[in-house]
Amino acid sequence: MWIKKYAPKSLKEFANQKEGVEKFLKWYNNWKKNKKPCLIYGPPGVGKTCFVYAFANDKNLEVIELNASDFRDADTLRRILGSAVSQGTLSGKEKIFLIDEIDGISGKEDRGGLAELLKILPNSKNPVVFTANDAWDPKLRAIREICELIEFKKIGVRDMEKVLKQILFKEGIEYEEGVIKQIALRNEGDLRGAINDLEIIARGKKKITIKDLEHIGYREREQKIFDTIKIIFKTKTIRGARFAIMSSDKDPEEILWWVENNIFNEYEKPEEIAKAFEVLAKADIFRRRIALRQNWRLLVYMIDLISSVAVCKKNVYRKFTKYQYPDRLKILSLTKLERELEKEKLEKLAKKLHCSTRKIKTEYLPYLKLI
Amino acid sequence: MIEVWAEKYRPKTLDEVINQEHVVARVKAFVKEKNIPHMLFAGPAGTGKTTLALVIARELYGKYWKQNVLELNASDERGIDVIRHKVKDFARTKAIGDVPFKIIILDEADALTAEAQQALRRTMENYTEISRFILCCNYSSKIIEPIQSRCAVFRFKALTDEHAKEFIKRIVEGENLDITEDGIEAILYIAEGDLRKVANLLQACAITGEKITKELVFSVAAQAKPEDVKEMLENALKGNFIKAREKLKEMLFKQGLAGEDIVKEIHRQIFNLNIPEETKVKLIDATGETEFRITEGGDAQIQIEALLAKIMLLGKGR
Repeated sequence: MWIKKYAPKSLKEFANQKEGVEKFLKWYNNWKKNKKPCLIYGPPGVGKTCFVYAFANDKNLEVIELNASDFRDADTLRRILGSAVSQGTLSGKEKIFLIDEIDGISGKEDRGGLAELLKILPNSKNPVVFTANDAWDPKLRAIREICELIEFKKIGVRDMEKVLKQILFKEGIEYEEGVIKQIALRNEGDLRGAINDLEIIARGKKKITIKDLEHIGYREREQKIFDTIKIIFKTKTIRGARFAIMSSDKDPEEILWWVENNIFNEYEKPEEIAKAFEVLAKADIFRRRIALRQNWRLLVYMIDLISSVAVCKKNVYRKFTKYQYPDRLKILSLTKLERELEKEKLEKLAKKLHCSTRKIKTEYLPYLKLI
Repeated sequence: MIEVWAEKYRPKTLDEVINQEHVVARVKAFVKEKNIPHMLFAGPAGTGKTTLALVIARELYGKYWKQNVLELNASDERGIDVIRHKVKDFARTKAIGDVPFKIIILDEADALTAEAQQALRRTMENYTEISRFILCCNYSSKIIEPIQSRCAVFRFKALTDEHAKEFIKRIVEGENLDITEDGIEAILYIAEGDLRKVANLLQACAITGEKITKELVFSVAAQAKPEDVKEMLENALKGNFIKAREKLKEMLFKQGLAGEDIVKEIHRQIFNLNIPEETKVKLIDATGETEFRITEGGDAQIQIEALLAKIMLLGKGR
């Protein structure tokens, strides 16, 4: 597969992420002094893992990798990392630890894993690198605080084109003008996805054309949901809206939240907004009934009622509406952090006051807040 | 032992796969080179996702295909330890035969927990030389982005009646069935493009030994006839409650249909009624409520009668 064949073997071949790379090199040079681990974060397919390997190759380092496909509970980590981390360079080759996809650590199966890492790390005689998609994941807070943070950004369209063209040149494949740009655009900064797409349409061919692009499906991105929402708000029939929902790749519950967050952006008359929320609220009841009893027969009614938002308007609004990402999804991840902090506070108080966290919540907090 | 037709008539070669030409064309090229990328098949039920995955395995490995394929249904085994044990163990052993890699088919991959998907991503990459993944799902938005980024994504289109007809023809010829034109139409109406349903329904009809007619299909499928339901609804809308109720009783007690199945057909017929969209909204809500009450144990006759009476009210203003 091309993604492996053309993975950079050396930093000389690693053309992107200039800032991130610079920061990383600086971190590495300072490592002996401050022993800080580092966390490389960024969206999928921008070269995080690949960079670490290219770097290690240049410096002749041995990479010891642990990723989400390995168990990472406290015991396993201690066994694999414990001795190795504190060992110096007996084998002659220096080591670097790569804890890949740290955001993929499982709360249940990898119990105690993060805490163990925090215990082991200060004693490390070798540099440790973490990677993650989302550095702001609440469960990574403790790791984040002790790490040097290095961001890897989405790859720009031009840079992406350069890489793709190089591959085609090496494979001896010609291309029609515009194809490469299309592949780069549709992958939105994800270079791995782009190289995969390129391989699918180009392998075994002499020349690729725009028409070849029809064969590859879109990776799910936010873009298409906007079209679905637009149809729901602009069509005049339930059927039309339902068709849009059925052919969308988002599941109906997600679409429910998208509609919820945009009714008031599209509709202007109070009675329209009221009507739309009324049918959406009914759809929500069916959502709950499905979830409670796993009664999937009721899904059609939920979908139809979401679709019914379409006919709550008197006339179609001939305007451009900028549809918003549902803040419900954002709120959920934000409050997760708050809830965690809250829990921490409660636990501390519970210890001090010799009772359960529940008692703290119901009997102490209301008064403590006043004091 | 009885052979299940859905299995017997599952396409065995790429040329037998119905519709999905855009996917098949690419897959053919992969198979010819004996090299496939990781793939993500997304699309509605019964459109051939699993079938195509199995066909690929057959074409690649010939009669040894079973040894080189791990088929997992993710909705049965959806946890992280399955991915870390079963899948990883299979992924890291070598393939048998002249194709250098094995195939892991993860059916209903959208049922995998997010954590299990996280665990999957590096397995896909690290054992790429000896293992390729085919993930099948209904909604690709349920698959995390890092995995999508590692896969070639193919969208399966819903099948039209024409495609389903082609499939019916295959089975009818293969089994020498006696079927009427309206029997075929009835099967198309009930199956709604799901080929698995087509095969099961045909087999159930054939077992009776009778000529397959519309009447037989609807009675075997235990489904309400569209024109019966439409007549009932129109009577209710016209205010003729007694006639509507007669029809209901006929379906419930003479034809022996379940309440839920009648309600399901009522729901389908709403869109064929000549009423304003706003009334349809009310009808949808009322019908859903009725189905919910029946599944909760309410009596079908009373619940549907109440629905018919409500429909009568809605029709009054016409």
